Amino acid sequence: MATATDKHRGSLTHPDVGTYKQVNDEVLKVLSKPGKGWWALLALALAGVGLFFTSWAIQIVKGIGVSGLTSPVGWGVYITTFVFWVGIAHSGTLISAILFLFRAPWRQSVYRMAEAMTVFAVMTAGLFPLIHVGRVWHAYWLIPYPNSRYLWPNFRSPLVWDVFAVTTYFTVSAVFFYLGTIPDTAAARDRATGWRKTFYKVAAMGWRGTDREWHHFGKAYIYLAALATPLVLSVHSVVSWDFAMGIVPGWHATVFAPYFVAGAIFSGVAMVITLAVPIRKIFGWENYLTVKHFDALSKLILLTSLIVLYAYLTEFFMAWYSGEPPERQMFWNRLFGDYWWATWTMLVCNGIVPVLLWFKRVRHSISALFVITIFINIGMWFERFVIIVTSLSHEYAPFAWGVYRPSFVEMGIMVGSFAWFGFWFLLFTRLLPAVAIAELKEVLPLPYRPQAQEGGAD
Amino acid sequence: MTDGIKRRDFLKVLGVSGAGASMAGCSTDDVEKLLPYVVPPEEITPGVATWYTSVCGECAAGCGVWVKTREGRAIKVEGNPNHPVSAGALCARGHSAMQGLYDPDRFAGPMLRENGILRPISWDEAETMLTERIQGAGGRVLAITGKTGPTFGELFDNFLSGVGGSRVEYEALSEAPLREATRIAFGRNVAPTYEFAEARMVLSFGADFLESWISPVEHTRGFARMTSTDEYGSKGTFVFLGSRLGLTGANADEWFPIAPGSEAAVALAMANVIARSGGRDAGPYREVLQAYTPESVAAASGLDAESIEELARRFADAAPAVAVGPGYAGHHANATAANLAVLILNHVAGNVGRTVHLRAEDRAAPVAPFTDLQSALGRMSGGDVQVAMVHGANPAYSLPGEANFASAFGQVPFKVSFASTPDETSALADLILPDAHFLEAWGDSNPREGVYSIQQPVMERVPHFDSKQTGDVLLSVAARLGQSLGGATFYEYMRSEIGQIYSDRGLGSDFDTFWRETLKDGVFILPNAGDEQEMLRSPDAALSFDAPGFTGEDREFFLQVLPNSRLADGRHANKPWLQELPDPVSKMTWHSWVEVNRHVAEEMGLETGDMVRVSSPHGAVEVPVYSYPGIREDTVALAMGGGRAGSGRFAVQAAKGSVNVMSLLPAQTEQPSGALVLQSTRVSVEPTGRRYKVATIEGTDQQHDRGIAPAMTLAALTHADDDHAEDDHGEGGHGKLQELQAIGGFVPVETEGRAEDFPLPGAQYGDYDPESNARWAMAIDLDKCTGCSACVTACQSENNVAWTGESQVAMGRDLGWIRLERYYETVDATHAGPVDVRHLPMLCQHCGNAPCEPVCPVYAAYHTPDGLNGQVYNRCVGTRYCANNCPYKVRVYNWYTYQGEEPAFEGLGHAPEPLNWAFNPDVTVRTNGIMEKCSFCVHRIREVEHRAALEDRRIFDGEVVAACQQSCPAEAIVFGNIRDPESRVAQVAQNQRTYRVLNELINTQPAVHYLQKVVLHEVEAGGH
Amino acid sequence: MSANAGGILASFDYLDDTLGAIRQLRDGGHTDLTVYAPLPEHHIEEALGYKQGPVRTWTLVGGLTGTATGLAFTTWTAMDWPLVVGGKPILSIPAFVIIMFEMTILFGALATVIGLFINARIPNPRPLVIYDPEYSGGRFGIYAPAAGGSLDDARKILESHNPVELREDTEGAHA
Repeated sequence: MATATDKHRGSLTHPDVGTYKQVNDEVLKVLSKPGKGWWALLALALAGVGLFFTSWAIQIVKGIGVSGLTSPVGWGVYITTFVFWVGIAHSGTLISAILFLFRAPWRQSVYRMAEAMTVFAVMTAGLFPLIHVGRVWHAYWLIPYPNSRYLWPNFRSPLVWDVFAVTTYFTVSAVFFYLGTIPDTAAARDRATGWRKTFYKVAAMGWRGTDREWHHFGKAYIYLAALATPLVLSVHSVVSWDFAMGIVPGWHATVFAPYFVAGAIFSGVAMVITLAVPIRKIFGWENYLTVKHFDALSKLILLTSLIVLYAYLTEFFMAWYSGEPPERQMFWNRLFGDYWWATWTMLVCNGIVPVLLWFKRVRHSISALFVITIFINIGMWFERFVIIVTSLSHEYAPFAWGVYRPSFVEMGIMVGSFAWFGFWFLLFTRLLPAVAIAELKEVLPLPYRPQAQEGGAD
Repeated sequence: MTDGIKRRDFLKVLGVSGAGASMAGCSTDDVEKLLPYVVPPEEITPGVATWYTSVCGECAAGCGVWVKTREGRAIKVEGNPNHPVSAGALCARGHSAMQGLYDPDRFAGPMLRENGILRPISWDEAETMLTERIQGAGGRVLAITGKTGPTFGELFDNFLSGVGGSRVEYEALSEAPLREATRIAFGRNVAPTYEFAEARMVLSFGADFLESWISPVEHTRGFARMTSTDEYGSKGTFVFLGSRLGLTGANADEWFPIAPGSEAAVALAMANVIARSGGRDAGPYREVLQAYTPESVAAASGLDAESIEELARRFADAAPAVAVGPGYAGHHANATAANLAVLILNHVAGNVGRTVHLRAEDRAAPVAPFTDLQSALGRMSGGDVQVAMVHGANPAYSLPGEANFASAFGQVPFKVSFASTPDETSALADLILPDAHFLEAWGDSNPREGVYSIQQPVMERVPHFDSKQTGDVLLSVAARLGQSLGGATFYEYMRSEIGQIYSDRGLGSDFDTFWRETLKDGVFILPNAGDEQEMLRSPDAALSFDAPGFTGEDREFFLQVLPNSRLADGRHANKPWLQELPDPVSKMTWHSWVEVNRHVAEEMGLETGDMVRVSSPHGAVEVPVYSYPGIREDTVALAMGGGRAGSGRFAVQAAKGSVNVMSLLPAQTEQPSGALVLQSTRVSVEPTGRRYKVATIEGTDQQHDRGIAPAMTLAALTHADDDHAEDDHGEGGHGKLQELQAIGGFVPVETEGRAEDFPLPGAQYGDYDPESNARWAMAIDLDKCTGCSACVTACQSENNVAWTGESQVAMGRDLGWIRLERYYETVDATHAGPVDVRHLPMLCQHCGNAPCEPVCPVYAAYHTPDGLNGQVYNRCVGTRYCANNCPYKVRVYNWYTYQGEEPAFEGLGHAPEPLNWAFNPDVTVRTNGIMEKCSFCVHRIREVEHRAALEDRRIFDGEVVAACQQSCPAEAIVFGNIRDPESRVAQVAQNQRTYRVLNELINTQPAVHYLQKVVLHEVEAGGH
Repeated sequence: MSANAGGILASFDYLDDTLGAIRQLRDGGHTDLTVYAPLPEHHIEEALGYKQGPVRTWTLVGGLTGTATGLAFTTWTAMDWPLVVGGKPILSIPAFVIIMFEMTILFGALATVIGLFINARIPNPRPLVIYDPEYSGGRFGIYAPAAGGSLDDARKILESHNPVELREDTEGAHA
């Protein structure tokens, strides 16, 4: 996977980073006994996970009624959070695969984190379809298996598309992620002791770094990237079709697929920054996650935020231009109805706040980026909330209009899902090299014998 | 026996003769003989229903019913088509009889109160005790009853005269003023019967004849026939004069919001106009009429003289017309005079004998009015009563607080209650002798002279409750007292009574056959003796036709006390079906509300749901506001029937949010009828600043340009088709359109969405063969539908639709398969003019291109070969995608298990023993996490299909009857196979008023066709 | 093959030394060289003269299999029990395309991984004998097996490119 051409070498890392060995030492040093802070965070995460599963248990025992869902709003916080996490899951493969294919040299330092984030985000998102169905004990009926009556799932249903898209996405992302870690776990194996050695030994699958291994590994990685790229685009398109395939005013729009994909990348990249900033600080990786990386990422955010904002405006315009009372009423209701606060939060966080990124000074201020991306994460959650809830609450039949208020159980599960994600991410930071060691070396100056440097490779 | 209906009759004959066979000893001690398993085998063919005729006992109207029993359990009440009152239909209250029969709170058996605690005793002990007490009472025995069946009332009176006691009949909702007025005017102490169907114009002076007044089901049928438009485009007119639009007023074409108490004046002024312009002579009332001219009453009524004049002329021209009222809610201190004035108007306009029928006095003793009860109260508090017996009445609840019933009743040493469920009065009683439910007991009904029905037990007494029909108790006590009243059991007593009539009227010689036939038909009808033309008689009582005085003159609002269209005077409070049935006007459930004019509410800064304190000089209550455009600005309205904290569990649950409006009233008597005055006081309304989470099913009362319930003007209807094509363009009419059809939406075809278009070209429904299958469809005439909501409860009873509880409804989680939508188009209380309220029963439209089906991941929602939108409960995983995607929002979801023995949470829907006996065994009971919806009564369709297959024939048109259609008193619903061009539904679907909701917008191709309401006033283009 | 068992393993700190050694060895007719590197380095692949590998075939075949499976499965299940929903045809191909697409990706990706494992011979359970932990750090290594040419000759060449370490391997425990 020779991505970086020689002209990039050394340009993307801090000058202090000289030798390959130094990379190994600095990256692998964190794979050791964690400190109090880490344990505290883990305890917090576990508490959240407890909340998550307790709330879910209550719902299973008592009935889905413990949520605030009602008629006509049959989908609410659960599906909102589902789409949110699927969206988060997108930047990982995007940065990893697409930037890889585009030979974007700055991906090396961030992609491992992004991919990990993807895998854990999908693991989180995948739970929500189970949470939101009324009879979770029958949820497996969505999976095609030869049941007693040979009744198969309805492949016309976007929900079945979801099952296929999300499971495929999880499998491929997980494989992609794992393959990428193999050379680095090998490196870890060569230095670790005790149980960690055994762990990395198994994880590295006997990787030696021989020419044959590197050769096929490189090829396979390219093809996987080539497959993962359309997959990324397809998955969130399918998720968007959960809505676009419905006839609900506010859902039934052709713009949805690109709109959702852009939104997903938007939120995903934002989340990468939100996570990278503290890690950079805590692990002292300023040399590896440089301002240049953040600058590149924020430009990506800026681009996608423009696309998303454009999609918002298009929706409103089409509603007006269509002249259909239900459409018009629905979008009017979005702006000034029961959920105006959600809509305006969405518009401000996703449309206005990112405008700051036009300024280089903002893009180069790590703390500013951290704050901005948090806003974006909030805004993107509300975007899904607005799309789902406002549309359902004011549909075709005016007499059946209704209002939905999330219940404590729903909120518990929503908050708990962040803890669940955080739990896995915390484990990741201490078990796997959060920065791709081997690939980072590609952007370092090649180790030529000092006096022979002019000669280069003869 | 090729016709299904005939076969059903046949089963009934068997059933009845079976019952007859066991009648000989049909007394309570060996009533087990009524157990269906001892009657002929046909009776108990498992899975085959047996039908018994009886009489509905839920109100005084006396609708004849058929009761469906399965394996010996009654499971549904339906109207008896042979009966002149119900003619096959039934109201929501009638359907809910099931929840009275299986009410889990009924007394388990006779009870004796000892130092405050009830303890069960045996019937023998109880009767002995009652006997001794009566012996010891020395004739100082008093009985307070509600309106009883004629024979039972007679028996009770005989019994009492035997022991030297007396009986008082009391009903809060009394026709006494009308009867008294009729007596004064025509010398007959009867309530006239009204032939709305014959009339071309109906005037109601505040009478809610469609929901509560006298005989709602019969009135609704007649009214619907009157008001619906025929092919020739003629349509009756309904003008409502009153301060508030109830369900009845909402169906009016015009509304004259006259001041409370001015009904008499307006009626007389109109009579005056008509008399002057060639109407019939007012006889002794000539002078009275002179005094009331349109000019003279204009001020008092708030109507200008011209409109009164004009209305009078129209009324006269429209003859035969009919004027009715004032209703119960209009029972003010001059109610008799007001009723008399309306009778005079009818007389002058020549309606008496044409649309207003006077009959010979019936056997049903007129309900003795409030005065008698007041004197009875006096006797009780005076210690002049030793034994008081209460049957079928609940004075402790239904009397105004100021009547002090409790204290007076408390003076009686021995108090007996025959209540079968706990109520406020039985809570004061010493001895409780639970009466049998009317579906477990014998009885008769004589709603009017010439109509006699037998109420026969349809099943063995519900085994959970050791009840005994009071008639039998009285007879056995009489026997213990050594008296013989004729007959050892009430059955024998009644049979001989009917035998008496049989011989008196010379109806024949073979009484046994007659009796069996009567039981089979459920009714026998005699020619009406007394319907000849009557001359008015001069009044024999002092009457004032002017507005009465009201207490609390200084307060700003008149208080209108409404008979609750669901709970009546509160007697139905322990029936969750009715508690959760949305009120036809406010669409609220469970709790109370006060109706305040919308403008006034805005001025006071109030909106629906704000708690206010309504206080009269006699009491105060706190209720949420319903901001209502259909009520005068100087009037507020509160419904009866709330706050039944002394009743069963469901009533107690409802009482948390409801109030007893009687606590606002003085104990005032109307003279000369002596009825309780309901419209007697003025009240003040103060905001409390608190809000109440109202349990309403209403999202908004506006259509928001959706054309959900469009209307046509009579002009547009009668004009050439090309006009009307434009008229209802864009509201689901028949503008030709290109529709993307089922073949993946690839083939556009031109269609008008009419019946003959089925199957739509390209819509081959996949592999289904359009030729070989039916396409079940429904047509609903919105010109007939009054919004009475009988269909909702009928459906609930037929399809085991769960009730969910107030908190759930407040969240929007009601499970009704039919949602009666109500939209306000033109409603203005500030001046007389047209009124236009649209009612639309929204149920699953069984779309050809159903949006709910393709989104279901597991095929729980799919299309059946006969065009039904099937919902497979067992397959449902509960993603709720189908509900999201249903544009009609008719899919309802089981958020909890609402039909278990125990509720998921306090106050949520559940079906404790024996309430679950009312379940229809043909329909699955749904549990937590399942989507459900209207099935077009698929089990009824299949039953008929199987029968047809067995008899090797095709299904007749009209053989399949959906539960809602069966019950509709307005005859607004037609059901059948629309692929058969001969079928009635196919014919109706081609009516030029027919449209399908939202079809032109989203091409769902619904199977439910609506016929637009026809309005007399101009509507904006598009009809909304 | 005890005759020419074993081999010689040399470690280098610098890439240019490594490349020089590789080229000279290959010029000297040595085959079956194994080169260890801490990073994917295209200079090394070039020096060893690698051509396009066979993994892509796996990807292609896997992907096409997925497409076919997706089409066959959706079509068959739809025909197996024809149920009409929403007035749509039994064979709603546009909807099925999505399933086909996802199956293509899934099968393609898994096939690629299998192809990688087979071609790169991982997982590799053999003990790491002819190996230096520094290979995953900063060092390069060249292993010349006896089977690939005379060990003395190889030693001379490797030494001439000043390795940091030179190790004889007698058992031939190398993969």
